[in-house]
Amino acid sequence: MSAAAKPIKPGLVGWFGYLLESAMAVPGAYRDALVRRPRRTIALTALIVFGLLYPILNRQIFQPWNRASTFPLPFPEDAVVTFMIIFAIMAIGLNIVAGFAGLLDLGYVAFYALGAYTAAFFASPHFGSVTFILFSEAPPGFPGIHLPFWILVPLGFLVAATFGVLLGAPTLRLRGDYLAIVTLGFGEIVPVVFKNLSAVNFEFGPIRLVNANLTGGNLGINPIDAPRFFGISFGSNSGIAAVYLGLILLLGAIVVARNLERSRMGRAWMAIREDEVAAEMMGINTVRTKLLAFGLGASFAGVAGVMQASYQGITTSDFFQFSTSILVLIMIILGGIGNIWGVIVGALGLVFLDSTFLPYLGLRFTAINPDLPNPSQFNFLIFGILLVVMMRFRPEGFIPNRQRAAELRHAPPGQAIGSAAVLGEEALADEAKADEIAAEQVAEVEAEAAAAADAEAESATEGDQPR
Amino acid sequence: MTAAPLPTGDLRTGTLPDDAILVRARGVTKRFGGLVAVNAVNFDIPRGAIVSLIGPNGAGKTTFFNMITGAYTPTSGDITFDGHAIVRMAGSKVRSLKPFQVTALGIGRTFQNIRLFGTMSALDNVRVGLHVHLKSHWWDAVLRTPGMRAEEQRSIERGLELLDIVGLSGRADVWARNLPYGDQRRLEIGRALATNPKLLLLDEPTAGMNSSETAEMTDFIRRLRRDFGLTVLLIEHDMRVVMGISDRVTVLDYGEVIAEGTPVEVRANPRVIEAYLGRGAAAEA
Repeated sequence: MSAAAKPIKPGLVGWFGYLLESAMAVPGAYRDALVRRPRRTIALTALIVFGLLYPILNRQIFQPWNRASTFPLPFPEDAVVTFMIIFAIMAIGLNIVAGFAGLLDLGYVAFYALGAYTAAFFASPHFGSVTFILFSEAPPGFPGIHLPFWILVPLGFLVAATFGVLLGAPTLRLRGDYLAIVTLGFGEIVPVVFKNLSAVNFEFGPIRLVNANLTGGNLGINPIDAPRFFGISFGSNSGIAAVYLGLILLLGAIVVARNLERSRMGRAWMAIREDEVAAEMMGINTVRTKLLAFGLGASFAGVAGVMQASYQGITTSDFFQFSTSILVLIMIILGGIGNIWGVIVGALGLVFLDSTFLPYLGLRFTAINPDLPNPSQFNFLIFGILLVVMMRFRPEGFIPNRQRAAELRHAPPGQAIGSAAVLGEEALADEAKADEIAAEQVAEVEAEAAAAADAEAESATEGDQPR
Repeated sequence: MTAAPLPTGDLRTGTLPDDAILVRARGVTKRFGGLVAVNAVNFDIPRGAIVSLIGPNGAGKTTFFNMITGAYTPTSGDITFDGHAIVRMAGSKVRSLKPFQVTALGIGRTFQNIRLFGTMSALDNVRVGLHVHLKSHWWDAVLRTPGMRAEEQRSIERGLELLDIVGLSGRADVWARNLPYGDQRRLEIGRALATNPKLLLLDEPTAGMNSSETAEMTDFIRRLRRDFGLTVLLIEHDMRVVMGISDRVTVLDYGEVIAEGTPVEVRANPRVIEAYLGRGAAAEA
């Protein structure tokens, strides 16, 4: 509690001091965790180290072993791991909209597409009639607009957030089902627009477009510049490097989402989720607050889209289908809606299942008998069954948000008081010991981000309650 | 924090000075389709007073509450609060502030059926009430700037203080829905106090309480008025509470004001007796 009493130094110096202090407190917090919950801490540490080293282990040991062995195991490849991370970023974003503020968004893929096309427009030779290279490592005189990755990420963030606000402004007065339907429509419209803006004739004032190919139509835009830093490519051919670049983005996403959750805005979102009328009566501008949730949630998908386009080097409207929106939604529901760690686990697990485990099962099946069904063709059927089973036995998800868990379980008040009090106390200590907890947070963030690289869906069961 | 002196003078004869009136409602009417829920109500709340709004079920009390707080827009009429127009006629149109704007002006309220944020801690419920007075933006939260963290710390301190005032110290970390009923009522008041109101609207604060809890709540409301310099508008069915606590009582029936005055005056008013007990009883009295 002593940390709470410490005066907070204002200004930039204070801020850096806070960051430094938080970083310095990490070892202490870790030692503390090691003493208090040794088994959990050691298990998590092992998992994290394994996750961080996974791309290297994969390349050096697992893949060669798979090639040589008669009985290969489902080790995800670098590309799959990268997409796990991309989807984890999206899941964190959708969790802000659906988990914190309780707004059902069925068209989340639209923002993913907007981010991807932002990267495609501003880092490819697509607009060959102009040559504009800014800070980019593209060769001089190369046709098209070329911005570097570190500009594309905030740009994708801004574009997606802007469209989130544009969509939200007229629609967030709607509630529940109506909002879901409008977002569903938006999610369908955006990819269709990208698909069809391949021959645009348009004249307005000085702007004159004749048969202009804005979006590449069915073919999409290709090639998109790979992320490059100091002459090193982080694209799909780089393998390991892209995974670590994705991890950095994921770490950023986690920090942003965590900080938003523990703020005035986070409380306002939860209040709206709990009781919108009461929230407005208590002085919360509900429309504006929901708009903020919508815009900020969308921006995560924008960043994920930039990563997708830059990583793969191609983006087409076919990547952005309704099923992707649903997939992200399933991720956060299975993982534990409202809990950042939960939704990350959900994203990692589901992408692993979809891209590695089911195809692997298919291979094993056909090896036994070519007539056996291939499970990867029934992926959504399997997700559906998974959802049903989950809703029956653990409706709050793998790593639940405490509040949601309570809502779904309808714990009788008398029984819940004790546990809630203990949990609440933890939460209070959280707030009061801002400094200490921030340190812990950094540790956890690092921990969990590392786990992100991890392929095994076991992390779900392993990290029982890593908040 | 001393008691605000009660205004002297009489509302009906207009001897009360203008600035002594906190809320002035003129000709407020609310129609729901064909039903006139509130009909041309004129209503003044003197600064520092505890005013009760009573009437049989369906008389339009809660509707009137909801118009003061901006939840409903009246069909016609004007409401001013502390010099600000909450509801005003702009030509033939009625303009009403939004509830969150009204709250920012200084009106806090509780609900007839408790509406706490069930799975948020008691402290966080109160801190939601503090929301209007916190200034940090989302980017401050993302960066955890010193200003934002200082503000959060202040909000925790203030929140704990308010919980203490409403008698919930030590329960800061309990989820609102896990609190006993009486504590939930208190927490609602604490949350309303967090918005730093000048006027506190209490919708049936003693509903469902036994007589000792009711007495406690009555004392509590008096203490709030004294300590916070509040003006209180009360909807209440328990006549002992109304008669014991109110400086003035207004009686609504079928959306119209049928009586207005001190508790003693209102109690003797034949129209009030008629509204509550029926014509026969009124004749007997």
